[in-house]
Amino acid sequence: MARRQRDVVSVEWVKLELIRAAYATRGGLFSRMDPRMVLLWYVIMAAAPWLTHNITVLAGLFALGAVSVALARVGPLLLLLFIVGLGLETIYILAVALLFGGNAETAVALLELTLKLGAVSTASMAAFVSLDPEKLSDALLSLRAPALLAFAVSYGYRMLPILVEEFNTVFDNYRIRSAPPARHGFLGIRTLVHWVKMAVLSFYPIFLNTAQSVRTTVESLETRGFTYATVDQRGRDIRLGYLKVTALDICVVATTAVLVLLAYLAGDQWPLMRRDFMSG
Amino acid sequence: MGSSTSPIIDLQDVSFRYPGAAEDTLRNVNLQIEAGDFTTVVGGNGSAKTTLCKTFNGLVPHYWSGDFSGVARVCGIDTFTSSVAELSSRVGYVYQDFMNQLVRPTVRDEVSFGPVNFGLADHAERTAEALEMLRITELSDRFVWQLSGGQAHLTALASVLAMRPEIVVVDEPVAELDPARALEIYQRLELLNREFGLTVVSIEHHAEFIAQFASSVVLMSQGSQVWHLPVDEAVYRSAELEDHGIPAPQIVQAAQRLGLQDTPRTVDSAVTALGAAAPAVPTSSTTTPPDGEQNGSRPSPGPESSGPAAHREETPVAAVQSVSHGYKTVKNDLRMVLHDVDLEVRRGDRLALLGSNGSGKTTLLKLLAGISVPRSGEVVVDGVSTRSRSAGRLADHVAYIWQQPQQMFLKESIRGDVRLFPAGRGEKNVDSLVEDILHQVRLAEFADADGRTLSGGQQRRATLAIGLAMRPSVLLLDEPTASLDIASRDSVIAMLEQLSGSIACSVVATHDMTLVSEWANRVIVLDAGRIAADLSPRELFDQPELLRRAHLVPPQITQLGQQIGMSPAPLTVDEFVQRFRQEQPLGGDLVETERS
Repeated sequence: MARRQRDVVSVEWVKLELIRAAYATRGGLFSRMDPRMVLLWYVIMAAAPWLTHNITVLAGLFALGAVSVALARVGPLLLLLFIVGLGLETIYILAVALLFGGNAETAVALLELTLKLGAVSTASMAAFVSLDPEKLSDALLSLRAPALLAFAVSYGYRMLPILVEEFNTVFDNYRIRSAPPARHGFLGIRTLVHWVKMAVLSFYPIFLNTAQSVRTTVESLETRGFTYATVDQRGRDIRLGYLKVTALDICVVATTAVLVLLAYLAGDQWPLMRRDFMSG
Repeated sequence: MGSSTSPIIDLQDVSFRYPGAAEDTLRNVNLQIEAGDFTTVVGGNGSAKTTLCKTFNGLVPHYWSGDFSGVARVCGIDTFTSSVAELSSRVGYVYQDFMNQLVRPTVRDEVSFGPVNFGLADHAERTAEALEMLRITELSDRFVWQLSGGQAHLTALASVLAMRPEIVVVDEPVAELDPARALEIYQRLELLNREFGLTVVSIEHHAEFIAQFASSVVLMSQGSQVWHLPVDEAVYRSAELEDHGIPAPQIVQAAQRLGLQDTPRTVDSAVTALGAAAPAVPTSSTTTPPDGEQNGSRPSPGPESSGPAAHREETPVAAVQSVSHGYKTVKNDLRMVLHDVDLEVRRGDRLALLGSNGSGKTTLLKLLAGISVPRSGEVVVDGVSTRSRSAGRLADHVAYIWQQPQQMFLKESIRGDVRLFPAGRGEKNVDSLVEDILHQVRLAEFADADGRTLSGGQQRRATLAIGLAMRPSVLLLDEPTASLDIASRDSVIAMLEQLSGSIACSVVATHDMTLVSEWANRVIVLDAGRIAADLSPRELFDQPELLRRAHLVPPQITQLGQQIGMSPAPLTVDEFVQRFRQEQPLGGDLVETERS
């Protein structure tokens, strides 16, 4: 098969998708909000599913999460991972239910859990795709999270594209210099194992290289007052000066709260519980 | 250097030992630097230049808490009783690996990071001012990982200038930048020094930058200061500097060989000095160009001919046929890097691929190596289309050496890395092959070391060994001499010279004009993804317009030759001196009486 340049499902594509997700380049409703309010919104959406076993409520919350994902313009990579994850989860549930002599009830119990996780995941995707690392970091700082955690969030994201690039290079080196398996094996299983092995081994040089380069980073942080700012309040005040709750923020959070409440009311009206699936 | 005012940096009997080290890194350093000076710190590897400079902003001994003795006063503050935070507002430090110094996502954030951390109310003005001082305001909203090397260095510099320091330390700017951009950094530093009275301390290996920009030079050796002299005197001690790994600038070598008493510090002053001595250098191109053998290349071609044309009938070892290639950007646009490129590389070619950053050099090399395949067009290596084989299989024909050596170190020892390819392909006598190659690159004694622990020059040679063990027909190298000091660079060039026997052809992407003039026999200039020229090194240096477009700076001796009207321009000091003498009416050295 002739080789061709691929623009999707390549390491390069993964890198671009990560950057797009991290820096909210697709825009979307939540990216225009105050980051602290996005976190509040997220807390509501992420907590609500855990307070009930009512499948009607969970379905409503899941639908709300799905709408949020659309409003936040989540990219294809994350969606793909989510759908694959959900699909695998479903297969796993069925397998477990059958293998361990479970019945419909076991399957439904596990399904309920999947629905919960799905609702939380969609909310997470919507929130974190909309918060670029700077906003997230500032929101954390403003909510009195430790300064080191707030910085780690923003620094981690700055390093992300560089680390993916480095991974790409090291992986290319393995690809070129290590011997491919002589035969592909059944369904290409040998080739697959070889690739997974190379991907895992690639982390070793990356860790060592990063450990070396981080020394300069730490010194530079020291000289530029990072430690000083953790003691002195003025820097924090300047950094957070721009945060402001607007009408949009209140509107979105209020609407969400109302919709969550409606889901619960609907659940009350038309309850659908695990026991309803019990036979006989 | 006597002066009535007290020096801005004043070290007295300073010694320092890193925690856990067996001996002192700094030994009894006594150093005074005046405010407003432009000082360069020079010295071989391991002479503690960087440690010395870290005493200025208190990283030594506050961050690196080893044994510190003596007194260090910076801006009148005793660093021992001060703190890194206090000293940082007076001393800015730009690291050699400045990319790791950038900690924020965008340029503006990066520059305002210091002032905001210190809670300065005028942080916005400081940021704007620092960006403006270096004329990079238009980069404000860029992400730091989108910046080119030169832009990243300016950003790092701006981020320390935003603290309005009195002293700026710049650690080897030339190491990670191409010469044209390093020159630009130095020009901006000179401006800051002249117009704002900023004291500049730079660590530098390249004598031509020292001669052109510094006002005084500190020579360090094994942790001690050998001397601190005004630049005119320092440059004149070229033999001593050479002993410490800093060969004199080419114009100084030439001036000394021709018996000039003054040491010219810039090409212009050399022209004046020579001009006074020899007003009538012939300018016609009828002068017989000397034989090219002194610089190891084939006889120099006339204006029409070009070396590779002689082999035109032979089948090329590698061919690039109307290739276009590009990448997707974050915004999902397609950014084309190469446009309809045609190139044939023939047996015996030592091809230097030149062009400014972003002109497509690395992309072209990766296409030749089959690491990626072009969006349109064909790449054929050893008669094999890169589309028909995986990159792993193509590695039997072509080896690509990455720019960052540490990214090629996959195993825990150099030997393991060199072995990886031949052992995996089930070659016979792998052990003897590996040992031979390690000897060839003079790394046998380091065979069991992890590549990351070696010096820069050794790392390059190790990656060369990895490439050689693949026994390719085509060897591709990306910036093999970047970030090397001069001695290591010369040894890498010498190594490439030796290797030409065992490889059909090599292609090197580079900014290093010494590599071009001493090693290459063919030059391809890429400009915005198209081939702008295909010629010999000698022809290249005769085209100032082309050089400027590709951000290239010819070697000093070539510039000097051009400016006094030698055509074709000389490539080496030997050649310059020889031709200068021939063209003199008396044919001898300049006599002293000719100088007034």
